[in-house]
Amino acid sequence: MIRTYVGLIIVLALGAIVVSSLSNYSVPLELGSTGHNYTQRGVDDTGSVNLVTAVVVAYRGLDTLGEVVVLFSASTAVVLILTLIPMGANPTPSSSIVSFTAGVLPGAIVLFGIYIISHGHLSPGGGFPGGAVVASAFLLIMLGSNTIPGQSRLLASIESLAGLTFGLLGFWGMMTLGQFLNNKVLPVGSPGKLLSAGIIPLISLVIGAKVASELSGVFASYRKAGGEK
Amino acid sequence: MTAQSLFYWSLVVTAAGLVLIGLWGVLTRKNILRIALAFTLADTGVNLILVWSGFLPNRSAPIVDASVTSMVDPLPQALVLTSIVIGVAVAALFVVVGVLASRKSGSADVRRMKELRW
Repeated sequence: MIRTYVGLIIVLALGAIVVSSLSNYSVPLELGSTGHNYTQRGVDDTGSVNLVTAVVVAYRGLDTLGEVVVLFSASTAVVLILTLIPMGANPTPSSSIVSFTAGVLPGAIVLFGIYIISHGHLSPGGGFPGGAVVASAFLLIMLGSNTIPGQSRLLASIESLAGLTFGLLGFWGMMTLGQFLNNKVLPVGSPGKLLSAGIIPLISLVIGAKVASELSGVFASYRKAGGEK
Repeated sequence: MTAQSLFYWSLVVTAAGLVLIGLWGVLTRKNILRIALAFTLADTGVNLILVWSGFLPNRSAPIVDASVTSMVDPLPQALVLTSIVIGVAVAALFVVVGVLASRKSGSADVRRMKELRW
């Protein structure tokens, strides 16, 4: 009972702070200086028409590398902790609707994911959302089959290879242009074309492969630990 | 109040509401998986507030095109992309730790987990 009251008091206090700060909030009409710089120079600097991708992959590429490391360590920790939990005997059997869908849809889902990954510099998308879409196809396959997924050497090697390639692409810029993850080691090309924007499409591809394999690994270890005891 | 400003303010009210509901759930729920759900709810609310803070009226999405003259701030959107991925990683870890703790104490009730008492 006391939990509810304390929780309610804390939430109400925070709500009052939110309301009082919003009542003094004035709607901005112009961009801040950083945002202004990105929108003015983004296309010339990076060749990426999608400025969000330009910021994520080119301007703040090092942060994205760190983000990939966070995702990697989290997925490693998930797999590690799940080995402590006794394995389920058999996964809960899936219904015929799920197993039929799992036979039909994954190809189209993977294709859509590859489209999102490869067009990250042209339209909303990129490595992270596209990789998540590809991983959802693997999740569907796993839900449709009634066996426990085994160890996958292929997934592990794709994951390591993608991480290694990301680092090597960074060092390529350091060797040739003196800057880690410099985007202009490849020609920027004409913005709006599929093959343009320097190494942004390559990095999107690498991130997509890494996110897809990592999330698939997490789903697979969930599937292994779940099921009837 | 025009339709656009109604949308603008309803967005931030929704976002702040999500954060508050999530916080309330984390503080008061007893099942550890519900706490994880409440946590992701608060996470979504924070992401929504960040995207909302980059919104400027009468501007288009930050994708350069011949017809686009002015656009919203791309920086918060890039930040939220990072935040979503970290949120997924933390949620996946949260659920696994919750499952491990509930197997150890024999129940998903946080009151029975000595390590999590407050």
